[in-house]
Amino acid sequence: MPIDQQKALLFGAAAAVRLLLFTAFPSLPNLLTGRVEISTPVTSFKRLQEGVFLYTHNVSPYDGGVFHQAPLLLPLFSLLPNPAYYPFATNLLYTIVDLLGANALMHIAESGQSATPRLFKSSRKELRWSSIAIGAGFLFNPFTITTCIARPTSALTNLFILLAMAKASQGAGSTFVLALSVASYLAMHPILLFPPLLVLCYDVRATKSKSAPNPLAFTAFHVLSLVVALGGLLYLSALLTGSWEFLGATYGVRLLLPDLTPNVGLWWYFFTEMFDSFREFFLGVFWLHVVSYVPGLTIRLRKQPLFVAVTLTGIFAVFTPYPSIADGTLYLSLVPLFRHLFPLMRYTFLASSTILYASFIGPAFYYLWIYAGSGNANFFYAITLVWSLGLSVIVGDSLYAALRDELDVERPELRGKEVKRI
Amino acid sequence: MRSHCLDNSFQPSPRGCNAAMLSFLSLLFFNLLITFTAAGQDYYERLLLRPLPQSALLASFNFRSNESSASFDQQNFRYFPRSLGQILQHARTKELHLRFSLGRWDAESWGQRPWDGAREGGTGVELWAWLEAQSEEEAFSRWLTLTNALSGLFCASLNFIDATKTIRPVMSFQPEGDHHNSSNLHLLHGTLPHEVVCTENLTPFLKLLPCKGKAGVSSLLDGHKLFDASWQTMSIDVRPVCGKDGADCVLEMEQSVDMVLDIDRSRRPRDNPIPRPLPIEEIACDTSKHYNAEDTCYPLHKSAEPGWNLTEIFGRPLKGACPLTDGDGEGANTVCINTPPERIIQANTTGQYLETWIASDTVRCYKLPTGSDFDLNLPEQEMTTGLILATPPLFAARSINGHGQERGSIQAIIRNPSATDAVEFVYLESLPWFMKPYLHTLRARVDTTSTNPIQETYYRPAVDRARGTHLELRMLIPASSTLTLTYDFEKAILRYTEYPPDANRGFDVAPAVLKLLSSQSSLGDNKGVYLRTTSLLLPLPTPDFSMPYNVIILTSTVMALGFGNIFNLLVRRFVGAEEVMALGAGGLRGVVAARVAAMRTRLLGR
Repeated sequence: MPIDQQKALLFGAAAAVRLLLFTAFPSLPNLLTGRVEISTPVTSFKRLQEGVFLYTHNVSPYDGGVFHQAPLLLPLFSLLPNPAYYPFATNLLYTIVDLLGANALMHIAESGQSATPRLFKSSRKELRWSSIAIGAGFLFNPFTITTCIARPTSALTNLFILLAMAKASQGAGSTFVLALSVASYLAMHPILLFPPLLVLCYDVRATKSKSAPNPLAFTAFHVLSLVVALGGLLYLSALLTGSWEFLGATYGVRLLLPDLTPNVGLWWYFFTEMFDSFREFFLGVFWLHVVSYVPGLTIRLRKQPLFVAVTLTGIFAVFTPYPSIADGTLYLSLVPLFRHLFPLMRYTFLASSTILYASFIGPAFYYLWIYAGSGNANFFYAITLVWSLGLSVIVGDSLYAALRDELDVERPELRGKEVKRI
Repeated sequence: MRSHCLDNSFQPSPRGCNAAMLSFLSLLFFNLLITFTAAGQDYYERLLLRPLPQSALLASFNFRSNESSASFDQQNFRYFPRSLGQILQHARTKELHLRFSLGRWDAESWGQRPWDGAREGGTGVELWAWLEAQSEEEAFSRWLTLTNALSGLFCASLNFIDATKTIRPVMSFQPEGDHHNSSNLHLLHGTLPHEVVCTENLTPFLKLLPCKGKAGVSSLLDGHKLFDASWQTMSIDVRPVCGKDGADCVLEMEQSVDMVLDIDRSRRPRDNPIPRPLPIEEIACDTSKHYNAEDTCYPLHKSAEPGWNLTEIFGRPLKGACPLTDGDGEGANTVCINTPPERIIQANTTGQYLETWIASDTVRCYKLPTGSDFDLNLPEQEMTTGLILATPPLFAARSINGHGQERGSIQAIIRNPSATDAVEFVYLESLPWFMKPYLHTLRARVDTTSTNPIQETYYRPAVDRARGTHLELRMLIPASSTLTLTYDFEKAILRYTEYPPDANRGFDVAPAVLKLLSSQSSLGDNKGVYLRTTSLLLPLPTPDFSMPYNVIILTSTVMALGFGNIFNLLVRRFVGAEEVMALGAGGLRGVVAARVAAMRTRLLGR
């Protein structure tokens, strides 16, 4: 079967599954929207609806504690018919968002930047999955499907992160910056992907053109265009809402964590239980911790920038303030790009069973705490620890595999032998 | 007309119907009397007793003292309490309303509320005031001054009325006084639904009275009985009242206590307060029941009005008149009782008293003797007539729906009993910030029509830890219809230090206030007609309070595992395992070996 036909079939099947779930179970979207594992205070669709309602009734949605999402989403969703009565347009939008995301993911896979970037050729580069398989892995991942049905705005963030990665791996500088600035505008933390993706973009540009562009000029140009794009988006938002108070209600909430609604991350319970005098200190430490991975990984894995970006999405899924399974599913869908590293990973069984364990026990323990009353908050907290541990095991293990793979190229004589870190 | 009358009389008897109708009309007339008599006097007090169905008794105490604005401004206080006056002057408060309430007014069996609900508060403490200020910030800082000062004066937690519990109502409250002398008035409103009103609030309340509970009707107020009532509300209202031309202004302070006592419960002796079954010989048995025997009995419903007297009900005697009340005229009749004319009432006193029958004989008023105790004795009596209770203009009930500690929905059911008149009203909600309503889920339905009853909405959303939700809805409910208002809300999880010690009890949500717009107050003044629902108990999800250290340690461990693992990989080099052996330098063993070697050379070298 030709590749286009396969792709059409895949997309058709994925769209059919989603639209079927939307129509066959009309109460499913609202049920999933209410799940804390999927909807966080900064991405929830119900809060978005409230924001749109207030916006269309001329009440500032940012002068309140419910709506913490980007202002440009408001006119977008106010154009759609009310999802309480006519949900089809919204459902279609989210289905299309998923398909576009899968399309971007397949472009990344086709670019071959995962196994054979400019400065490094993996010794196992022939070991790879087709882009169709990777796209199917994204589209038919149950986490992706539940995220799509629950309609959080993190689906949009994921799309723009994938687009930024795809454009960077094609060397399209301006569209990469634009996509990344939209993703950062929506969720703030994707801006940390800029350094590795810039390196990736530079590498691809250097491969394509005869002479490598001047690194300094290249960096300066792209930083400047990122600032311009982000500034433009923020200025447009300020024009739209009439004031700059949305900054505090969106990015301020992500930075300072006033809303402690449970989620799958590590922050909410930590800051619920934190002593008041240390709250600011630990907020600073936690953010510094997230940021610290960016320079470390980018410098050490200079030769594999796409791997750095993917690993960072995994770190975001664990260590950002409001993660959800949407962030986890983005990482888990990007990992198959590195099929050539799988033979070198040591804890795949442990990690995958931990993830499975957490995804089944998590909702049960949440039920025991909130509804049955037979458990307390520690039940759900313990499961979020397991989930985070599982994801961080995959992150660490794939990093080990990537470094080991580099070692195999540097010193082919050590291939297959036991190594030590000193 | 006759059938309507029967439906509403609580002791239906065909013979008493006309008389009962009469007494209802006269009740309104009597209320008017109460309102207008006080205008010229400096101090006025009155106790109105009214028996209610199911052996309940409504006692309405009302005290009013006037001070001319001129002498108030010169801090020349006569009847107005100095302590409160100075607070009002300091906080630039022009009009003040303070309420301490407990219990629930059972409108289904007790009918219309006393004072049309205008002298009533929601469960706990409710305070609203008009303050003079140049800006909103200044108004709020004066409001904090006022709440802190009142907190000290009334021994209540009023100082906990902070920004999260304060709202600025736009439609629900109108000033009662004449304020054309003041400009830039700001209305602020705060509630403390969790506050338990008790005797420590009554004592300062009584101290504000000129007779301080030593004489006059206030001598009946006893904390043990007042806070044992089925429903009670204490109110303080300060407002300026001016003459027709805007001159001759006086500052009027009105204090009132309304309570519904259960007569049976109040008559229990204080040393034996537990209700015990009567011996079987004293119970009238229904002998028509087939199981009726010497040891089994189905008690007959007592149709007779229970007998009671003031001393027994209030736990202390009425110690004669307060000497500051008028010696003659309307203001001298300080104790009034609203019963059918046939009810036997005996006044017990050693002094001189005067009985007056007014309002078609349904109200008997007594001028109290000075310096000697006074008691009213009502023996047990089989009654043929009863009082008609006025039907309230609206019935309102509010509840939380849903289960679990994550989310829920509020449902308010408002019923208009009138067969002819539509009622327009304002519905005010003041919700705590940790209860996050979704306004897009707000639905209001009327069962008789499909038109939307909501005519106007004012909404100010909550901000976490800074401000509560303020929702005001102007709605119209058609005749004999039921309005159902619902909206969803989400419960926030708080920091563990923000929970009270009894965290699993839940949090109190202030009652909703309904102000009727269409119906004029039967009292004929600008006090308005109000209705309050009961407060709600909102259970929030709780963290485990015992383990902050454990959580900090466990979370930090997971983060350290991630960080340590990744940075361990990033900063170290890979070498072959055999090379390490050959080098002998890597790892802990190499380090230890090198150290030992160095040590040995140093020791041996010496």
